[in-house]
Amino acid sequence: MPARDPAGTAALERRYRRLLRCYPPSHRAVHREEMLGVLLAAARPGQRTPGLGQAVNLAACGLAIRVRRIPGWLAADAGQDALAVVSLIAPAVVFILLALGWAVNAAAGARVLPRVPVWTPLLPVPVLPFSGESVVVMIAWLAVVVLGLTGRRGAAAKIAFISLTLALLALLLVLVVLIQQDHSFYFNTFPGELFQFLPFGDVPVVLASLAACSLALSPGPLRGLAIVGWRRACLMIAGLSAGFGFPSIVQLADPAAPIWDLAFRLLGVLAIAVAVAVTCVRSPVGRRVAGLVATGLLPTLAVTELSGRRVVPAVFLVPNPLLVSLLVAVLVWPVAIVSWRGRVRQAVLFVRSDRSDSRGATGPSSDRVHVRRL
Amino acid sequence: MYIYDMKKRSMQEPTFLILTALAAGPQHGYGIITDAEQISGGVTRLQTGTLYMALDRLRSAGLVEPDREEVADGRLRRYYRLTDEGAALLGAETERRRASAAVAAQRLSVRLAGGTA
Repeated sequence: MPARDPAGTAALERRYRRLLRCYPPSHRAVHREEMLGVLLAAARPGQRTPGLGQAVNLAACGLAIRVRRIPGWLAADAGQDALAVVSLIAPAVVFILLALGWAVNAAAGARVLPRVPVWTPLLPVPVLPFSGESVVVMIAWLAVVVLGLTGRRGAAAKIAFISLTLALLALLLVLVVLIQQDHSFYFNTFPGELFQFLPFGDVPVVLASLAACSLALSPGPLRGLAIVGWRRACLMIAGLSAGFGFPSIVQLADPAAPIWDLAFRLLGVLAIAVAVAVTCVRSPVGRRVAGLVATGLLPTLAVTELSGRRVVPAVFLVPNPLLVSLLVAVLVWPVAIVSWRGRVRQAVLFVRSDRSDSRGATGPSSDRVHVRRL
Repeated sequence: MYIYDMKKRSMQEPTFLILTALAAGPQHGYGIITDAEQISGGVTRLQTGTLYMALDRLRSAGLVEPDREEVADGRLRRYYRLTDEGAALLGAETERRRASAAVAAQRLSVRLAGGTA
């Protein structure tokens, strides 16, 4: 231990403390002082900064422990409350975005139709109602909202997942058709327009995945409503819809508005950030809701906005739609599958039964007594 | 669950070193690191992050548990000890490694005999 240089030791300790922030708070509370002792004991005499390898190792292990604790966090009170609020607001925002998209197309006088031949054996008729801003999909998500608010969380989650599955199926089939017919020029010229084959654009598809997963994993929208109340729920929904539907709203007001202009799009991103900040960041539960929404959406949004405007090199343009879909498929769907296999839900049920045991025989309605309001 | 997985897969080297370091008696974090380095013949030096990630996993699997705490040079030291489950798992892994090593030694001796013949 570098005992002969107290100032150096203090500087080293300060830097190690900063690095240890990569660990989850619960881990830090138990192990921080102990780990600091080990790190300082292993330091070279006179060492004032952590070595690069040590710093990378601490950061990587801290993040790995955070990731490992996600299922537990989702099953615990804090995660369940945040997911319940997301399950309340996300489906409503998806529905509003779909309605806005449909209204824009209706106002333009014509639906956006696929530009490739779709009547092929590979693209069966049943998929067609799920491409473009279809009324069928809009009604499906209205049903998700209504079922959620009437306490039928499971049915709402199933419809949301069916809608997403058909969306991904439609995208995959269109991709197969495009590849078969060598429409490479299409990819190179209009990468973003592939999304017209999805029932909703790139951002809403991630939002829809978040909605479906939160419905499957949480106690549901009714609990979310008990936590945030009608007023704040409406504010959140309105704020996020205004942020994400920014281009559509402007286009409805003025069809000639330069919505593809970079500054204009960034204004939309800023509107979302403000909406999330104002409506969500008011309490620990609110911050968790904001975190869930932001981690799912902001990276996707940034990639789409930047690549759509050719800010990033052209090489990233072509796989962009695929990248977003793959991210959804790789990051979000496994959670859903795990949930449907019952693992996370078992953990949730375990926590719930534990909670009800500690409350005594007060019955299920006592949930509302224990909710944390924003 | 973890033990089930470990029985199906071979144990990772850091895990083996940590469990071995705790086999003779409780040790604190820095003690485990220096002991593990010695056990591996100086080949493996555990990083602090790796050690505590492994301890976190081993604790939740019930293979190690905290023994006691003490303060040395104004710093907290927490000692860890092997549980009975941990000792059983380490025993099984030791047997597995011993059997593999025996096969390797036997085949090498065959090769050596073939070479000298």
